[in-house]
Amino acid sequence: MIDLIRVSKQFDGKRKVTALDEVSFHVERGEMVAIVGPSGSGKSTLLNLIGGLDRPTAGEVHVDGKRLGGLSDDQMTMVRRDTIGFVFQFFNLLPSLTCLENVALPLHLRGWARRKADLRARELLELVQLGPRLEHLPEELSGGERQRVAIARALAIYPPILLADEPTGNLDTHTGAEILSLIRDLHERLGATVLIVTHDLTVAGSCPRTIALCDGRIVEDTRR
Amino acid sequence: MMLLRLITWPYVRKHLLRSALTTTGIMLGVAVFVGMHTANRSVLRALHRTVDRIAGATQLQITAGETGFDEDVLERVQGLAEVRVAVPVVEAVVNTGLPSQGNLLVLAVDMTGDRSLRQYDLESGEEAIIDDPLVFLAQPDSLIVTREFAARNGLAIGSRIPMRTMVGERLFTVRGIMRSGGLTAAFGGNLAVMDVYAAQFVFGRGRKFDRIDLALKDGITLDEGRRAIEKLLGPGFQVEPPSSRGQQFESVLRVYAISMNLTSLFALFIGMFIIFNSFAIAVTQRRPEIGILRALGATRRQIRALFLAESAIGGAFGSLVGLALGSLLARGIALYIGGLFEGVYGLAERPDEVTVEPGVLLFALAMGIATSVVGGFVPARNAARVDPVRALQKGKYQVLSAGENLVRRGAAAIAALAAVVFVLVGRGTAAFYAGYLLAIFAGLLLTPTAALLVAQALRPVLKWLRPVEGTLAADSLIQAPRRTSATVAALMLSLALVVGLGGLAGASYDSIVGWVTSALNPDLFVAASPNLTSRGFRFPASVADGLRQIDGVAEVQPVRSARVNFRGSPVLLVSLGIDGWIRRAWRPAVEGDTDTMYREAASGRGFMISDNLAGLYDLHPGSVIELGTPAGMLRLPVVGTVTDWSDQSGTIFLDRSVFIRYWNDDSANVLRIYLEKGARVPRVREEIQRKFAGTYRLFVLTNAEVKRYITGLTDQWLGLAYSQIFVAVLVAILGIVNTLTVSIIDRRRELGVLQAVGALRKQLRHTVWMEALSIGAVGLTLGLILGALNLYFVLEMSHRDITGTLLSYQYPTRMALLLLPIILASAFVSALWPAESAVRASLVQALEYE
Repeated sequence: MIDLIRVSKQFDGKRKVTALDEVSFHVERGEMVAIVGPSGSGKSTLLNLIGGLDRPTAGEVHVDGKRLGGLSDDQMTMVRRDTIGFVFQFFNLLPSLTCLENVALPLHLRGWARRKADLRARELLELVQLGPRLEHLPEELSGGERQRVAIARALAIYPPILLADEPTGNLDTHTGAEILSLIRDLHERLGATVLIVTHDLTVAGSCPRTIALCDGRIVEDTRR
Repeated sequence: MMLLRLITWPYVRKHLLRSALTTTGIMLGVAVFVGMHTANRSVLRALHRTVDRIAGATQLQITAGETGFDEDVLERVQGLAEVRVAVPVVEAVVNTGLPSQGNLLVLAVDMTGDRSLRQYDLESGEEAIIDDPLVFLAQPDSLIVTREFAARNGLAIGSRIPMRTMVGERLFTVRGIMRSGGLTAAFGGNLAVMDVYAAQFVFGRGRKFDRIDLALKDGITLDEGRRAIEKLLGPGFQVEPPSSRGQQFESVLRVYAISMNLTSLFALFIGMFIIFNSFAIAVTQRRPEIGILRALGATRRQIRALFLAESAIGGAFGSLVGLALGSLLARGIALYIGGLFEGVYGLAERPDEVTVEPGVLLFALAMGIATSVVGGFVPARNAARVDPVRALQKGKYQVLSAGENLVRRGAAAIAALAAVVFVLVGRGTAAFYAGYLLAIFAGLLLTPTAALLVAQALRPVLKWLRPVEGTLAADSLIQAPRRTSATVAALMLSLALVVGLGGLAGASYDSIVGWVTSALNPDLFVAASPNLTSRGFRFPASVADGLRQIDGVAEVQPVRSARVNFRGSPVLLVSLGIDGWIRRAWRPAVEGDTDTMYREAASGRGFMISDNLAGLYDLHPGSVIELGTPAGMLRLPVVGTVTDWSDQSGTIFLDRSVFIRYWNDDSANVLRIYLEKGARVPRVREEIQRKFAGTYRLFVLTNAEVKRYITGLTDQWLGLAYSQIFVAVLVAILGIVNTLTVSIIDRRRELGVLQAVGALRKQLRHTVWMEALSIGAVGLTLGLILGALNLYFVLEMSHRDITGTLLSYQYPTRMALLLLPIILASAFVSALWPAESAVRASLVQALEYE
């Protein structure tokens, strides 16, 4: 499902920073993988490369059989749109839209009819147990509820791949556990391939496979 | 559409006032365009209608400019086989003695033949006055007036009306009142009919007519008739259908129309920049939102289309408001334009209705939307290029990369070089304007770099003023050029335009004052109308002789001026004794040898021309000018050019002896009087008025009065330039408010930390105020510098395409000094609300803002 072949990423600034250094691994369809590592190890960069938000300096990234390197920006966007759901640490909901509108947004971007998009959004919000909060704005929700909305949005097109960047990083322990449980539940139900970036070992421990990064390299790849 | 509803509308709703203000420039530009064009067309339509009504069934009119021609021309024309009827006409605008009635157009005709051309539909009066033309002749004080005029003044048959004629105030008797409609609608009813031969006497025409109106025999086309008449009379006459008289009015409007078009374009251009600035800020502000959309699968095209649609909608909104405002303005502008015609025709033409044409509306709407889309194009493109990864990281986007800077500076250098090449080496109008645009473009490209340099120069000053607040304010500009450069560029551009216009106005003013001082230096002016510009009345030569006999008068110089046809357009011909000019009002030649110029002109061997005529028609010493005269073609070379502001269409100066010879006319519009040393102006003035009272219509003006009148007109022009400052202030306020709003959002954490470590609210306010003042100072500095360059181009543009006059380069220092406090004060005012929002933000939320 996901293949990285000797992927490197360098950032040019005042100094050249190597975020990833010849990283290679393969993720099967339906796997749930945690990517762990200390701050600055390249976890988020890795996720951005897999999600088509960024391009590697060297190496190849294959997602669902497609090589991302040779694609134009629009083609990458299409892959991202049709294949990948993103969950961010800081939720990244649009503050002026209601929960329903936030979840329906990816569907509108694909040109879905309004009624159909709203129906799907309702289903998803019910799935994440936020049915009564359809018309609420993000500022009216707790952190956990906002992350649920973000998860619902990420699942809008039932993507084969779900990428979550520190999904519990901004939540308290109890809420974080709830969110993690939700992600696991959805993974089992929908059969999506899930990659979770986290620095929390508890979160990592709940995933069948853990890839550990340090200084941009894989130092460990463990299956339970 | 969905994205507009979901993304755009919430943003617009949240920033409703700012969104509305953003379209102000577009609104102003569209309003001025619609108002001006509507008014223009309405007035011209009304004037053409008036001309048509007065013309009646006239097919062709024969004139010889404003000079008129001898009576014998009529007989010759009447003798042509092609002509069915030809009648003489004298037209004059007179002041009645009736209170608040203004001027009256007197149409003097020969009733013998005139009824074949015009219908005089009398509702009351002596039918005999129409049926028997001899009645008119026998009672030369007869007047036929309109129903409207009679009703306004309570006139009836037999009422007497005083009129200030050439031969003094005379009483005329109403012997007919015309029904409403047709002729009577001309000039709002301020029209009267009298006998042509009586008019010759009272209006000082001697044995001349102003024109001949004629109708052709059946089967003769206009072209055939015109050719026959031109062949008979020769080149000194114009033979045209009545409708072509509209040309004269349009030429009067030309400069005014250009000025209004420039104002409209100026406002639209600034509007485009305000849109650009606002959208650039909006893209920066909505970066995270754009990043999220991109992360969720929005393509670049969708993002670009979203922002372009926003700019189009904003432009449509501004344009629609502008259309409504312009339609309201049109009536006021129409009244003003109609009033302008008093200067040309002596009567104000005020249209009964001001109709907004759908074509004008559609064009203005399209223009407003297109301008807005152009303004939003670059921000939309930049929005599409937002990197979703970086967009979701706060503050990372503000720094311009070294690569970007290099590209900008390289492009600026190329544009500047190309501008220099086009201007210095290029020939022709296209090269000049290409150079102008490239120079401005180079200035815009260099704005971020220049703004950075000025901000860095300001930093130590700000730090000295307030160590913490000043440093933070300066660093905000230095470290976030993206945020400020659009605002600085907009401010710079609008100030550069203000400086350009101000310099043009100032140079024009100085030139006019110089001309007034040197050329209009007689102690007294005796004119046949209250101002020196009206040429409807003329003095016989004997008046000058009478003036010379007055004690204290040293010299009397008669001047006869009239519009004549030159290359199809009316220009002013001024005839006077060149010898006297040399003695009393000598001016150096702008082009040509001064001594040769005066010598040749005084001996009647050449024309002197005004610099604006030279500029407009590309004339130089040696160029030959041909003028058609009643005595044949007058062909003389240009012997020199002088600075002259008598007429915007240009002036030709001719020795009086040549004028008398070719036009057979020794009358004068104005008599310039120089007094002997020691003679007192008030006494001589009194003596003149006493001597000629009751004999001639005569106005005696002192030198000071004439100068005051002319400088008053000039001040109106300057007022237009100063009004552009208002637009510059609007740009300043809008731009700075936008920039500061984004700045405060971007610096929320920084401001939160400041508060946490002990900064007082007033200190937070100070940092925001100082940032605003810094932006204003940077924009002002760059604007005044670019303005110096822009002034060169504006003066050149004026010389080439507008007035023809070449003015000296004078940087408008006074205006620049005036701009300093205005712009800085505007910047400060702009900062008040953003500063308050900064101090009221929650400290806790600010510190959690990451």
